[in-house]
Amino acid sequence: MYRFVLDMTTRHQSAAEDLAPLPPVIFHILLSLGMGERHGYALKREISLRTGGKLKPGPGALYGSIGKMLELGLIEESDARPDPHLDDERRRYYRITPYGRKVAQAEAARMRELVQLAAARFGVLKHA
Amino acid sequence: MPDKTFSLRLYRWLVKLYPAGFREDYAQLLERQFRDELDESSGAVSLGILWIRLLRDLAISVPLQFSREVAQDAKHTFRLWARRPWQIGFATLALAIGIGANTGVFSVVNALLLRSLPFRDPERLAYLSLDFQPPHDSARQFHDWRRESAYLADAAVFEQFDVNLGGAGEWRRVHAIQASWNFFSVLGTQPVLGRAFAPGEDVDGTGWGPPGRNAVAVIGYGFWQDLFGGDPKALGATLRLDGNPLTIIGVAPPGFDYPGKAVIWKPAAFSGGNNGWETVARLKPGISWSQARAAFTTEVNRLWPNRTQLQKLQYPSALTELRNELAGPARRGSLALMACAGLALLIACTNVANLLMARTADRAAEFSIRSALGASRARLSQQLLTECMLLSLAACTVGVLVALWTTSIAAKLQPAALASQAYSLLDGRVLGFAIAASVLSGLLFGVLPSLAAGRVPTVGSHASSNTRSSRLTSDTLVAAQVMLTIMLLTASISVGRAFAHLMHIDRGFDRSGLATVNVSLEGTTHQTDASRLSYFEEALARVRRLPGIQTASATEFLPLYADAFIGGRFRVNGRLAAKASMVNPVLPDYFRAMGGHILWGRELTDAEVRNNARVAIINERFASEFGAPANAVGSEFVNDDEHWKIIGVVTTMDYMTEGADSYEAFVPDRSPGSFFSTFVVRVNGRAEDRLAMIRDTIQSVDRDVPVFGVKSMEQRLADLLARPDFYRTAVLCFTAFALLLVVMGVYGIVSYTVARRTREMGIRLALGTTPERLRARHLWQGLVPIAGGAIPGIAGAVLSSRLLESIVEGAESVNAATYAACVLFIAFVAALGIWLATRPIARLEILEILRTE
Repeated sequence: MYRFVLDMTTRHQSAAEDLAPLPPVIFHILLSLGMGERHGYALKREISLRTGGKLKPGPGALYGSIGKMLELGLIEESDARPDPHLDDERRRYYRITPYGRKVAQAEAARMRELVQLAAARFGVLKHA
Repeated sequence: MPDKTFSLRLYRWLVKLYPAGFREDYAQLLERQFRDELDESSGAVSLGILWIRLLRDLAISVPLQFSREVAQDAKHTFRLWARRPWQIGFATLALAIGIGANTGVFSVVNALLLRSLPFRDPERLAYLSLDFQPPHDSARQFHDWRRESAYLADAAVFEQFDVNLGGAGEWRRVHAIQASWNFFSVLGTQPVLGRAFAPGEDVDGTGWGPPGRNAVAVIGYGFWQDLFGGDPKALGATLRLDGNPLTIIGVAPPGFDYPGKAVIWKPAAFSGGNNGWETVARLKPGISWSQARAAFTTEVNRLWPNRTQLQKLQYPSALTELRNELAGPARRGSLALMACAGLALLIACTNVANLLMARTADRAAEFSIRSALGASRARLSQQLLTECMLLSLAACTVGVLVALWTTSIAAKLQPAALASQAYSLLDGRVLGFAIAASVLSGLLFGVLPSLAAGRVPTVGSHASSNTRSSRLTSDTLVAAQVMLTIMLLTASISVGRAFAHLMHIDRGFDRSGLATVNVSLEGTTHQTDASRLSYFEEALARVRRLPGIQTASATEFLPLYADAFIGGRFRVNGRLAAKASMVNPVLPDYFRAMGGHILWGRELTDAEVRNNARVAIINERFASEFGAPANAVGSEFVNDDEHWKIIGVVTTMDYMTEGADSYEAFVPDRSPGSFFSTFVVRVNGRAEDRLAMIRDTIQSVDRDVPVFGVKSMEQRLADLLARPDFYRTAVLCFTAFALLLVVMGVYGIVSYTVARRTREMGIRLALGTTPERLRARHLWQGLVPIAGGAIPGIAGAVLSSRLLESIVEGAESVNAATYAACVLFIAFVAALGIWLATRPIARLEILEILRTE
């Protein structure tokens, strides 16, 4: 068991940049949680909306990603329930960790670099 | 909404496909999300789309989650293995030997019984036993019979010969076939070069017949490469078979050598007198095997209406699958070996199960902590199962190496009929079997530790190993091992005794210091009756002059070599003998050369052979039918109008492997070299040392006479007994392996118990017990499961010995005393293991133990 704890800490210490490039679902989850705590289904709906329906993670893909993010320490479970009357206690809420923020920033920076490179090569479309 | 309820239920069931860890964490959430999506979808179309997306999601995420959890478990497993390399090394080795032996034996079974033959639709090909002779007075009669058959689509007859082949380099001895013209089409094989026989190319005649329409031949692929270097110009070339010219018209495909390593096929010459035909046939479409068998029996009864019950028993006619016919006696032997290998694997599995159970108990603390932290029983079982599967996969890898070795041994024993089919481990089925064996054994010994893990208490740590039930389980496993080992041990004793009996049976001749060399004069310049004897006399004279030679002679039929005999029922002093006797033409000094014993009378003389004197020597068994054997000397021995005077009586030689029961008569051989002619030479010292010298000397008489079968009599016997010898060695190896496993199993369990109960024993010692008494206590406790396994073990051995008797020639059930000895032996070996395992008790320091408390 001691070894397991040690593993958790070593993972936390890995630099935010090392995780890049992030799988799209994970980056989108981080983006959504950046605005506040969400439960799984809300995350799915937001991602679907944001991508115009192009990315619609199924339950397995969504919770698979969530599990991985929890393990990496990008997010954590939250005890808060925004409105107990509206909500079913079986829902679980997640929030982004400071480490998760750093990783999201690193990913965004990586993307920005790519976008700048592409713009320099191909120009920028006015009505993308 | 009934369909929504159904969807929900279905999804709940599908979620179970996820690995335990993921399921525990997310099953409820997955279901919650599914419910939400279900609520959003309305109508059949959107429900359909939802399901398509879900199934795609499952197809991707289930394997992904599995690979993640297995990777975690594997990492954990490797860490644990690194801590105890010996334990895991032993387990891997035990399983590897088990799996390797199984794969090796399976590859033999695969080649013999499962692999398809190099024929079209081999499962529809039938073999009609040699005792059935289709109408064959003329080619037309045979072809009419096969065309009119109601149950056979087509049938071909063939006859096998060993012949002298000339016309292409030096003379050699080859296996040749004469067959009805449709032989290749019945088997569904086409020559790779040239053509097969054409209709009407088989003729009426005898033996090889006069050169004519049937003077054509198809040759084997390897033979073509060997003789003509694969040159297509071979077509049209002439070969001489026993002097008769044949024109090559085709080359058989690679690997085709049916029947019995044949290298040359020619169209048949039919004659009513020949009864050496074998029949191969293809069933009519739509006819089942049972229908074909019934139709065949009806036909046999129609063709021979007056067969007596005895004749039916003596000459049973049977229609069998060609595949089974080819596998022949090796079939049942291989299956029995497979059973032995299976038992050995089972023992290895129980042993490893026991070992893992002990490990699981050892790791109770770890599991308690993990389960307190939320790991479920399913999650822990999954971890153990992964460990087991990894272990069996590692064992499988090593096992394939063992199998490579075992198959190379087994390949030496393949029956000639299948010689072209080399054993190959790369065969998908064999590899599949290795993997299946390893996965199955992984499951088998993965289950028990998992059950034990299920019982691991969530709090406290040390209790589980001492519980009565875990002790019971491990005792049961030891008992099971003992049971299986007793079965193997008695089987190996039974097979070993049968082999020893075969080796030491008195065959009526002295096999040591006896060299044998075959020649055949067919097609050579010595073929005429007048020159046969002079060739043999010249060869014998030259051999006798060699250093270290006691005497030399020759015979037409050598024990353990000839596969056909001549003979008949004779009258002695006017009385007809009870059964037929074989007649063996021999040259002078035959009995001295063979090491046989003339009991009364004398050997043949040179003059008697040269003048073709009507004298004979008969064996003791034959002579005793007509009163005292000594009185037979001087009697008259008659067949139709031929008379012989009996000049001697000899001990029986084992010609037909029916022991001392055959009737034998030896007469002067005026025209040697007609049948299975063999020079027999008695030498000083080892026969093997003089073989080359004798061969060269015989060859020097005439280079054109094929000289073959240059072997000592002991080599011939060893060849004959190669298969029983292999069975004996294999069963012995399995038994030794099983015994080793029992010892290691018992040793492991006892030393583990001793290590765990150090504290308790320290207290007992402090209270005045002696270490010897403690060790004796362990000994008695350890022997309980041995006794428990002995009873079902003997029962299993009695049952399996019946099976063994029917499979291995000469194997007999062992008696009660041997069973008792087996049990005592295993108990003794186990006791030794226990005593060694309890050695640490003698070194216990009471104060040291009590201080740690």
